[in-house]
Amino acid sequence: MTVHELDEFLAPLRPQYADPRSLILPALKHVQEETGWLPPDAMATVAEATGFSQAYVESIATFYDRLYVEPVGRRVINVCVTLSCMLRGSDEIFEHIADYLGLDGEGTTDDGMFTLHKVQCIGACDRAPCLQVDAGEQIGPLEPADATCLIDDLRDEPAPARYCR
Amino acid sequence: MPVLNSVYRHREFGDTLTSLAEYERAGGYLGLQDALAMTPDDALYAFHRSGLRGRGGAGFPMGRKASFLPKDTGKPTYIVVNADESEPGTFKDREIIEHNPFQLIEGITIAAHAVGCERAYIYIRGEYEHQAQVLDSAVEQAREAGRLGPDALGPGRPFDITVYRGAGAYICGEETALLESLEGKRGQPRLKPPFPAVAGLYGCPTLINNVETLAALPPIMHRGADWYAAMGNEKSPGTKLFSVSGHVMNPGNFEIVLGQTTLRELIYDLAGGLRPGREVKAVWPGGSSVPVIGVGSLDVPLDYEALNGVGTFLGSGGCIVMDDSGCIVRASWRLAQFYQHESCGKCTPCREGTGWLAKILGRMVHGEGRGEEDIRMLESLFGRISGRTLCPLADGAVMPVQSALNLFRDEFVRVAEHGSPRPVPMMEAPVG
Repeated sequence: MTVHELDEFLAPLRPQYADPRSLILPALKHVQEETGWLPPDAMATVAEATGFSQAYVESIATFYDRLYVEPVGRRVINVCVTLSCMLRGSDEIFEHIADYLGLDGEGTTDDGMFTLHKVQCIGACDRAPCLQVDAGEQIGPLEPADATCLIDDLRDEPAPARYCR
Repeated sequence: MPVLNSVYRHREFGDTLTSLAEYERAGGYLGLQDALAMTPDDALYAFHRSGLRGRGGAGFPMGRKASFLPKDTGKPTYIVVNADESEPGTFKDREIIEHNPFQLIEGITIAAHAVGCERAYIYIRGEYEHQAQVLDSAVEQAREAGRLGPDALGPGRPFDITVYRGAGAYICGEETALLESLEGKRGQPRLKPPFPAVAGLYGCPTLINNVETLAALPPIMHRGADWYAAMGNEKSPGTKLFSVSGHVMNPGNFEIVLGQTTLRELIYDLAGGLRPGREVKAVWPGGSSVPVIGVGSLDVPLDYEALNGVGTFLGSGGCIVMDDSGCIVRASWRLAQFYQHESCGKCTPCREGTGWLAKILGRMVHGEGRGEEDIRMLESLFGRISGRTLCPLADGAVMPVQSALNLFRDEFVRVAEHGSPRPVPMMEAPVG
C-alpha cells in the first residue's frame, strides 16, 4: 500500500479525532488488512501518512496481540484457552489441531497456510470451547472433529481479499 | 425467582433488532424522545434517581459519575463507550451489540443530551470485528435517518458516534488505558487523579461507561427512573445480565432482577445445572478477577452487597462455574497465565508478580512443586502485588488465586506435593 492510498483511507477519519495520533491504530489495522502482517515498510508507510516517527508507530504495533510484527500464515487460527474454554476441553482442541497441522504447539505450517495461536478469552464462553479464524465470528462449541473439518474447509478456500485480524 | 426481560428490548421482543425500522417498531427511540423533552439537568437527575450502577465491573453509580463532569470548561465533552469486553467469562456486551445495537446508540445519544456532548467513541475490542461491523451498520443507518448527525439532539444540536477498534489487549478495558489507546498511545493505565470526568480523552471532560450501562438508559427515560429503581433493592436496583459459562449444561446470558435470584437459581434453573452426578465446586461469579467462592455460598442473592457479604464481587457478571471434576490449582494457574499475558508491563509488581504466580502454580500442577515452600511463596507474593499498582489488573490477578488458596488449602498442598493430572474436560455440546 502506498502512502497516498493510506492517506485516502485516513482522510474521512481525520476530522473525527482531535489528535492525529489516534489515526495510528486504524492505519496499522488497515495496512495489515492488505499485507496480512506489518513488515518494516508497512510501519514506514503508516509513519509517513500519520506524521509520526517509525519508531513510535512500531511502539504502538508491538503493544497489541492482533497486530503481527512477524509473518503469519494465510489464516490465523486463534484457539481460546482461558478458563471457561479450558473447562470444556480447549487444550484438547488445541492439541488436536496442532497434531493435524503437524505443529509442535503454536507456530506456522511449513506451507504458510496456517498460523496456530493460543489466545486469551475472546468473549464467547457460551460457545466454549471456541476459536476464531483471524478476527472472524467466534466458532463453537467445538469437538476435535469439527476443528479438523474447519481446517480442511479453510485449506480449500482462496486467500481472503482482506486479512481482517 | 422472578425473571424479567424488561430492560434490553431484543430480549423482550424475542428477536434480533439490527435494522432501525425494526428497532423503532419495537418501541425504539421513545426514550430519546422523552429525554429530549427534558432539560439536560433533569435527564441527569433521572439517571441518578434510577440508581443505575456501572455494569462494567466497578458498580459505580452512573448518574453520580455523569454529574462529575465539569461544565463550561471551554473544552468539548466526550462520551467514551467501553465495549472492550475482555473479562474472562463475560459476553453480555457482545449480545447487546449483536442483537440490539440501536438500544446502545439510543442510550449514548440520551447521555450526550444530558452531558452536552457532540461526539462519542465506542471503543470495541479487536476480537469483536464481527460485532464492530454490526455497529458500523447501525451507526450508518442512524446517520441516514438523521438520528445521528447535525440535528441528532434537535435542530442545530449535532451529535455523532465513531466506532474505534482495538487490536487485542485486555488492559484496554481499564478506562484510562482505553483512553490512552484511543489517543494513539500504548494502552497503559494513567495515574488517577485526575479522573476521566475532569481530564479524559484529549484532556477533556469525558464520561466513560460500559455498553450494558448505556443501553439501560432508553427504558429508564421512557418508563421512568422510578420504574427502574423499583426493581431489585435499594442499593442494587434494576436488572443485570449474567453470563454463565464453564461446567453448566446451558451456558448463556440471563437477565435477572438484582437481589431476587440466588446464585444457585442462576446455575441450576437458568443455566441448566451441571452434568448428572456432578456438584458445584467453585464459582467465579463476576468475571475471573474476583475472589472464587465455594458450594457453601450458592444461596447468596445476586446483588452487589450480598456478593460482597460472601467475600466476592458482582463485577461484570461473568459467572464461571467449575464442578467437582475440576482441579482448583489448575484453574488458578490458567487464570494466572491470563494475567501474566495481559499485564501491560508498566508497574513492576504486576509485570513481575503475575509471572511468578503463573510460574509457581504451573510447576505445582506439573508435579514439580516444592510442597509447603511453594505455598508460603505464593502467600508472600499476594501482598507484594496487590494494592501496589496503578490499575486493578494486579488485584484481579491476586484475588482469584488468594481466595482459592484460602478455600481449598488442602488441595493446594496436595498438588504442591504430588501435582495434578489433567482432568477429563466437559466436551459434549450443550443439549437443550
